[in-house]
Amino acid sequence: MASDSETPGRVSLSAIDPQTGKDTEVLISHRRMHTVARRSLGHAKECGLLVPYTLQQPTAIFEGLRKDEDEDRRIPGWYCYCAKPACSFDENGEEQPPYPNEVFLVFVNRDKVAYNWRWARADKNDDRLPENYEERFERRAL
Amino acid sequence: MTVMSNEEFAKRMMLLAKPASEFKPTAYYDSDGDCIEFLAKPDPFYEERIDDLVTVYYSQKTGEVIGSLIKGVSKLAKRLAERLPGFMITIEDRRIRLEHLFLAGMWLQTSEPQAIHVLAYKKLAEIAERTSVEVSAELCGAA
Repeated sequence: MASDSETPGRVSLSAIDPQTGKDTEVLISHRRMHTVARRSLGHAKECGLLVPYTLQQPTAIFEGLRKDEDEDRRIPGWYCYCAKPACSFDENGEEQPPYPNEVFLVFVNRDKVAYNWRWARADKNDDRLPENYEERFERRAL
Repeated sequence: MTVMSNEEFAKRMMLLAKPASEFKPTAYYDSDGDCIEFLAKPDPFYEERIDDLVTVYYSQKTGEVIGSLIKGVSKLAKRLAERLPGFMITIEDRRIRLEHLFLAGMWLQTSEPQAIHVLAYKKLAEIAERTSVEVSAELCGAA
C-alpha cells in the first residue's frame, strides 16, 4: 500500500448531501491519508472510522466558513460536517469513550474534498453542535 | 478515483498507520484546503480558533499546545509580499521555517490581539523553532 504514497489520487466515500439529505460522495486525497496515518494509529483510526461516520451520520452540516481569511470559502460549497461519534481513539489506536462536551468536525471544500477533520468544543446549549456555530458559519444546511 | 466502502477505507488506513513511537513533527501544505497543518506530537487533539489565520491544536491528554492550522495560505503569501516584503529573505532553499510564518501572522494583525492569543502564537513559534519544522515556499505560493 505504500506504493501509492505519492499518487496524486483520491478515494471516494459515501456522504450525506447537504442540499438534498440524500447520498453523495466526498473525496479524500491519498496524500492526506498517508500524512495522517503516519502520525499514529489513533490518527489513522480517526480518519478511517470517524471521518466516514461524520460524513454519513452528521448531527448538522454548516455551509460557508464565515471567519476564514480566504473569501472563497464564504461562497456556497464549503461545508463543515459535525457529528457526535460514540468513541475516540488514543495515540495507540485504543478505543476510548468520546471526549465530553466535544464534537467531531470534517471540513469539505467546494470540490467535495474532505481536507481536514478534528475534535472541537461543543456548544454550551446543544452538545451536538460546535461552539460558536452561529458566528462561525454562514448558515446551517442540514 | 477509487470508490471505497467504509470497511475498505478503514482497512486501508490501518495498513498505512505507523505507531506513535515513530512520530516526527511535521508541517505540510494541503492544496485542497489551502492550509498548512503543523503537528509536534502524536497525541489526539482538539481545536480552538484564535483568529482568521490560525487554529490552535491542544493535546486531549495534557491540554498543551501541540500544533496548528494556518488557513488561507495563498492569500497570506500575497499579503506578506505586499506588506512585509522583507519576509522573503527568510526563505532559504525554497523552504520557510514555520516559526517565521507565526511571527509574520502576529505582525499582520490589524487589531490589538488578545493576550491569550499572543501567548498561543508565541508558543507555536517556540515549538516550531524547537522542532525545526519547515514547509515548501513554492507549494504554498510564497516563492
